[in-house]
Formats: sequence, structure tokens, C-alpha cells
Amino acid sequence: MSAGGRRPRSRAERVIGALVRLFPFDFRADYGRDLEQTLRTQHRDARREKSAGAWLTLCSDVLRDVTMTAPREHLAILRQDAGYALRALRRAPIFTVSAVLTLALGMSAMTAMIAVMNAVMFRPLPVERPEELISISNQTGEPFALSYPDLQDYRSRTEVLADALGYSPRPGAINVDGTTDRVTIELVTDNYFSLLGVTPAAGRLIQPNEGRARGDAPVLVLAHTYWVSRFGRDPSVIGKVARVNGRPFTIIGVTSPSFRSTESLVRISAFVPAWMYDVFSDTPVALSRFEDRSARWFSVLARLNPGVSLAEARAALDVRAAALARDFPATHKDVVLRVVPETHTRPTPQLGASLRVASTVLAGLAALVLLITSANVANLLLARGASRGREVALRSALGARRGRIMRQFLTEGMMLALLGALVAVPIVIAAMRALMTFMAGVSSVAAIDPDFSVDLRVIGAVFVMAIGSGVVAGLAPALWACRADPGEMVKSGARGNTDQSSGRMRGALVVVQVALSLALLVCGGLLVRSLDHARDLNLGFEPDGMFLASVMPGPQYGAANRLAFYENVRATIASSPDVEQAAWISFPPLGIVGEIAQVTPDAKPTDPDWRPPIANEVDVSPDYFATAHVRIVQGRGFENRDGLAGPPVVVINETLAAMFWPNQNPIGHSLTADGRTLEVIGVAQNGKYRSISETPQPAIFNALHQTTPSIATLAVRTTRPSPALAATIRQVIRQVDPDVSVFDVRSMTTHLDNGMAFFVYRVGALMTSLFGAMGMLLASVGLYGMISYHVSQRTQEIGLRMALGARAADIIRDVLSHSGRFALMGIAAGAVLSAALAQLLQGVLVGVSSLDPLTYLAVAGMLVAICLIASFIPARRATVVDPLTALRAE
Amino acid sequence: MTSRARLEAFLPLTPPMLHTLVALADGDKHGYAIIKEIARRTDNSVRLSAGTLYALIRRAEADGLIVETDDRPDIALDDERRRYYRLTPLGRSVAAAEIERLESIVEMARAKKLVPRSRSI
Repeated sequence: MSAGGRRPRSRAERVIGALVRLFPFDFRADYGRDLEQTLRTQHRDARREKSAGAWLTLCSDVLRDVTMTAPREHLAILRQDAGYALRALRRAPIFTVSAVLTLALGMSAMTAMIAVMNAVMFRPLPVERPEELISISNQTGEPFALSYPDLQDYRSRTEVLADALGYSPRPGAINVDGTTDRVTIELVTDNYFSLLGVTPAAGRLIQPNEGRARGDAPVLVLAHTYWVSRFGRDPSVIGKVARVNGRPFTIIGVTSPSFRSTESLVRISAFVPAWMYDVFSDTPVALSRFEDRSARWFSVLARLNPGVSLAEARAALDVRAAALARDFPATHKDVVLRVVPETHTRPTPQLGASLRVASTVLAGLAALVLLITSANVANLLLARGASRGREVALRSALGARRGRIMRQFLTEGMMLALLGALVAVPIVIAAMRALMTFMAGVSSVAAIDPDFSVDLRVIGAVFVMAIGSGVVAGLAPALWACRADPGEMVKSGARGNTDQSSGRMRGALVVVQVALSLALLVCGGLLVRSLDHARDLNLGFEPDGMFLASVMPGPQYGAANRLAFYENVRATIASSPDVEQAAWISFPPLGIVGEIAQVTPDAKPTDPDWRPPIANEVDVSPDYFATAHVRIVQGRGFENRDGLAGPPVVVINETLAAMFWPNQNPIGHSLTADGRTLEVIGVAQNGKYRSISETPQPAIFNALHQTTPSIATLAVRTTRPSPALAATIRQVIRQVDPDVSVFDVRSMTTHLDNGMAFFVYRVGALMTSLFGAMGMLLASVGLYGMISYHVSQRTQEIGLRMALGARAADIIRDVLSHSGRFALMGIAAGAVLSAALAQLLQGVLVGVSSLDPLTYLAVAGMLVAICLIASFIPARRATVVDPLTALRAE
Repeated sequence: MTSRARLEAFLPLTPPMLHTLVALADGDKHGYAIIKEIARRTDNSVRLSAGTLYALIRRAEADGLIVETDDRPDIALDDERRRYYRLTPLGRSVAAAEIERLESIVEMARAKKLVPRSRSI
């Protein structure tokens, strides 16, 4: 009857086969055939019965098996494995603790980077449908923002955009019930809250069209955190008057607790309609900023229409940008739009792209550290596995299948990794809190407050990562257990099989670890040396002996009063003991905040492609150049006659002088800076303004007596820096005007450490050194594990040699030369890797070559020493082996 | 003799496990026969899926309540491809202990008049 050969399987049989395969391997091996047989019979009976009821019963049975029985069986086995793994780990507490701590170390680094990446790249804004939000910015020139008329133009692209909003943060002072706080206030377009879909926690938010007409009643919305910290959630604050920079605003509501703001770096305390801009600037040009297409000051977010893709929106907006370039060639010729999801523009559109790269690179480094950690634990497990040979053999002799034993090792690796994650998560939560506190203290000009909190998303990622690293850690011993010959293992006990290829693998692993930690340490070392050199660098002023204190008299003073205040404070401080000189500057150089201006010389170059350069801009009082030791190389500095009544004047630096008037005397020429025409009266020496590694940048110095900024920093040159000086400064300012708050009283050295000057170096040096130290620690643990394994494999040979008269020193030398080979190979590979990596740092290194021999030698020497110590311990242990015991084991 | 304490360690049994042991009380059976027997005796109110049954058998075997047997029933009824299971003395005692436990609960309920003492048919 049968035609011979294999009958093609029917669909029912295929379903039955698939169902059986859902059960765990062990279960299938024992009952798979019976289960299949039973299902087949049930299926046959149902078919014979031809009743709907019979089919329904069969289907519900199958469904129950798929959804409940099979998973339950898996879980039962997992629980059994986990229980066994925990017992095994508890039996070896020292091993367990060291493996868990090693893993926790690697995971902490990785978790921290995940938390940072989450804040920078992934965590959606807590608003309605955050995935629809895109950022529109101008990627040419600074500051990556758009003008108000441009925003309105893009807003009109209703075929792709539902709406677009603009925002711009400003430092300001809020006074409620007599207490003044310096905060950052977000100027927002009227549709800000409605577009985002933010709800009020109390009162109401700014409505569309609110504050649009000039002269509308000024209103203010409090951020929830500020409402809590300043007003203790007091609902009666709504309706009260808050004086913002001295002007009255009515508090109308509080944002919902989950919404911080659209800023990811700066803490926002209040929101004000953008039309109230004049509160933040008392220059008469303020309102034209809403008509001036070259006044780019809005960061822009837009909501895509449902179903519109990013590419479609980009295309439509590019068409609009091209039209603007045609209509306004003077200001829009170079505009290139950057249209990206909102998550790509954190913390600002300008920094977004590079921060994404930086955090991805750092996360990559952290992932390498974690990978090495896991490989290390694999080494530890292998070394332990070697001594567990008999146990494995016994279990398989008792009927445990290879697959089961393999899974047992994987479970052990995973248990270790999960325990590591449990240790790492609280450490990282604490570390991130500390980091946020540290960053909040860096400067009070803007409250730096990134949200690096560890949320469920981060914890989820950490546990996925833990499982991955558990698999990496458990795989090598699992494969070893699988390939081992039980008979051989029972016979040889601790030694297990000598697997040449796995030995080579582990050797290679140690080489990689040593190489990588060398590279990280070299980068860290180069940055540390750069920091050292940077402190000695010529910044164009003399930071030692300088003391700073910032104040914000605000626009309510009026120019004349403010000037009187500045002059009064300066004169009193300058006459204090130990004070040589004192002067005012709007923003001290190399801080986090600085101003820039577009400058044009009186004789505009004829080249049609010429663009006015952007120059750093500061306002300084007459004594500043002398106080900061900035040399005037030509012409004169400011004098008291350069006041409000005098002609507008400017001092430029050497770079700008060479740019505009090469081989000419610039004195007497004039230039235009952001619309103001100024006469050049002097040339100051070059300096560093935004970063210490910058190429010489153009800069202009305005006369503070002419610009009268509403925020300024007193620079004091002392003969004897003392803590008492800070108190004196505060006291003097309080005496002159108790309403003006003083902040950021610090030495210039502290300012440089926390500002653009050295902060990057400090963070870079810290991170790379930290990762490097971790790598080094891990490499030494890896080497230790490998040498322990190596020694345990050679116990009998060593015993024999000792019995034949070998001295302990010979044995130790042998073992050390074995490990030394790997260390040296690692160092050689690491040196090449370092040279390549350090090339990337070239741009930020100061006064030190990327091939600095001192750094390389110091790091290599340190690694050699660590490697020797790590291998000396097992080597020493090998020599105390009793030759008789070792030989008897044979 | 099985000690009381050892039996107690198995109690209470889940209803599917008790049904499985009871189904084997009057003779060796293969898996499908157990499923059918339970369905028949309970008027289809208890139905074990094939997966559930073999999970139960696995546990019962591991606990020593049942064993696989090489004895085959009549050649006419035998199905070579199937494995047959037999209740062990321990399995029998455990099933009996469970039923005693249930009976004592029923007794208690009757004493409290939760259910009538006997039912007329």
C-alpha cells in the first residue's frame, strides 16, 4: 500500500510538531513522542466525530498548552536552574562576590552612559504625542535659532505642520513678596502650551493670542518645580504679582508636574509670553526683534500633521527656506535648515548633533568595558569550572543531559549578571544625583539641571544588558562543560580537559584587555597633562589673583542709576585693603555664557561673497584692562569720558584689527556691531574667549559706561586672595543697594575650572581615567584568572618539577614569564591603539604631543607592575603545592 | 510502610493530579487513556490538555507516585507506540491520604450543616 519514501507531513502534523517544540528540551526528550502521539490521536478522534464541539475542545486544549503549560514548564526548569545556581554561588562566596562586583563595575559605567543617552537622545518630552515634534533650526552660523518672522513663515506651511512654537531662555530676577530669586525664564510664543498639550497643575497657562498685542497685561506661568521649591505648592500664589526684573507680572498658573520645559540642560522657573521681551532688555530696539529677520533668537519646535513624514516636512520647509533666500538675500542667502526629530536637538539645536556623537562614543567605550567585564567573569567561571570538573562529570553520570548542564552554566552567568545589575543600579542612581548636584553648582548664571534620572526605561535597558552580559559570561564555561569528556573528568578531577584553543582565546582576551586599558589610560593621561599645561597657558589676561562676583541690577534701574551703582561699588571695593584694582565686565571670558556680535568695518569689502564675521563681545569698565592685565597694544583703553554723553567707542583685539584693517592703523576707523556704529579707539592684545584651544578669534570691547548692561561681574585684582574678600564684596554691595542680589562669588581659577576653559578637560580626563582605571582593574583580574587557570592545569607538572628539585623561584619565574608575554603583547598593541586614539584628541590637547613619551611610559610601566602583581599571586600559590599530593592525584 | 509525615508532604494534591492518580487506580494506562477516563468519569467537567497531562506525569514520576511499566495489556488492546503508567504504592497512599483529607473537610462541612448529611437520589 505504501508507496515507500517519506510521506509529506500534513498541516495538522506540522502544527502538532510545532506545539511539541514549544516545550523545554528536557521535557521533549522525555515525553515529546508521547505528547505528539496523544495529540495526533485526539486530532484523529475529533475528525471522526465531525462535531464542532470536539474541534472546539481540541482547540481550547491546544491553546491552553501554548499559553500556559509550555511556559510553565520552562519557568519550572528556570526556577530549578536558578535555585541550583544560587546554591552553587552561595557555596563559593568569595568567587561570587568578586564576580558580582566586577560585573557591577562594568555595568555601572554602562548604566550611567545609558542614563545620559536616555536624557540626551531617547526620553520623549512629557507632552502629547511627542513623536510628532520636530525641531527646525538654521544650521549655518550661530546661534542656530530662527527669527520671529521666519517662525511665522514656517508656521504657515500647514500642509505639513499642524503648528510651530518658539522659545528662548533668558536669565532674570523674580521678586514675589519681597524676596528676589535669580532664575532662568523661558520666553515662549503664545501657542507654546497648547501645541505641546501641557496642562496646568493650578490656575491656567498662556493661551493662544495671549500677550500678542503690545500693551497686553503681563502674565507669568510658574514651572512646577519652582512652585514647589519656592512657594511650597501654595495655590494662593496665583493672582499675585511677581516683579520680573522689576516689572509687575500677574501669576496666572503652574505647569503640570511632569513637564519641565523644552530645555534639557537649563532649569526653567517661569514662562512668559515672548512679546514681553522688553522686560529683559531696555534698549529701545527691543520690539523690532519681532520684525527683524536677522534677529535669530527663537529655538523652534513644530508638530507634524498626522501621517506626514519627516522627509516630507523637510522638503516643504526647504522650499519655503529657498523662497526666503530669494526674498531676503542679505540675511537668508546662507540659510540651510536642519529639520530633525526633537530628540536630536538636545540640549540645544547647535549642540545636539555633536552631543549625540559624544554620548554614543562614550557609551561605546562603556560597552567595551562591560564586554571585557563579562569576558572576565567568563574567565573566572572557567577557572572555577576547572575545579568543578568532578561535579559536572558526576551530574552527567547521574543522567543530566549536556544541554541541561550547559544551560546551568548559562544560568549561573546570568544570575551573576543580574546580581551585578542589582548592585549597579543604586550606585548609578546615587552617582547621577551627585552629578546633577555638581552640575547645578557649576554656575548660577544659568541653572544647569539636566535630567539624568534613572527611569524605568533605563532600568529595563540595564536588565536586558545584564542578560546579554550573563550570556557572554556563561557561554565559555557552558561550551567547555559541553565539550568535556565526563569519564576523563571523573578520572582527573580538578583538571578537566586541556583545551588548547580555549587557552589561546583567553590569552587573546587578556591581550585585548591590557591594550584597551592602556589606550584609555593614555588618553586620560594626555588630558590630565593638557589640563596642567592649560593652566599655564597665556589666556590674554592674568587669572591668578583675580576674584569675581556677579550682580544683576536689572533694567528697572534705568541706565544712569545702574551706572551709578556700578561706579559706587567699584570705587568702594577698590579702596578696600588688599585690593589693587577693581573693574566691571559684562561676562567674564571663558564662562558658560558669553555674547557675540556681527561686525562690519566702515569700508565694507567689495567681494560679493564677503560675510560680516562674528566677534566675541564684552562690555568693560575703564579699569578692566589694567585689572585683568590685558595689554593695550595701540591707541587707548576706555576712560571716564567714554560715557553715555560721549560718542560710541570700541576697543578691538589684534585679530579683528588684522582682519579689517591689515597693515593700517585701525584707530579712528569705525565699525558696525549689531546695528550700532562705533569708533575704534584702541587695540587690545589677543586672548582666549570661548575655549582655550580656539584659534585667535576676533573680539570687541564695548564701553560699559555706554552700554550699561543689566547683568555684570565685578573683577577684583588682589594682592592677597582670602576668603574674607568674598564677604567684603557681598557686604559692600549690600550697603550700596540691598535689593541687588550677588551671585557666583568665586576666584577666576574656579571660574575657569567650571567654565568653558577647563570643564571639558576635567570631565574628559575624569571619564577616560575612570574607564581606564576600570579597564586596568579588569585586565588584572582577567590576567589573574588566566594565570590561576594556567597554574591549576599544571599542578601536577609543577609538583613533579618541585619533586625533582626545582626551586620555588624557578617556578615563579616561569609563570611570570608566561603572563609577561601576554602583558607585553597587550602593551605593544595598546601603544598602537593609543597613538591612533590620541590623534582624535589632537584638537583639544594643549602643550603636549599626542605621542608624549612620558605619558606612554608611565602608563605602560604602571600596567606592567599591575600585571606582575596579578600573576605573582597564583604563581606563588603554585609553589606551595605539595609535590606528593600533586603526584598522587595522577 | 509510608510514614504519615512523608505523605503529608505531598498534600494537598491539585485536582488534576488527584484525578490522574485515581484514573490509574484500577489498572495501567497510557496518557490518552488517562485523559479520556477523567473526561468520562467527570462528565467532561475536568479535561486535561495533552501538555498538562504530560507535565503532571513528569512531576508524578519524579515524585515516585507513578512509574512507567513494561507490562502490556492484552495484545488486542496494546498500542506498541505508547508508554503505560502504573500507580506506585506510594502514589496509592498519597491519593488515599488526599481523599481522606477531603472527606474530613466534607465531614466538617456536614457537621456545620453546610451540606445535607446524605442525598436522596
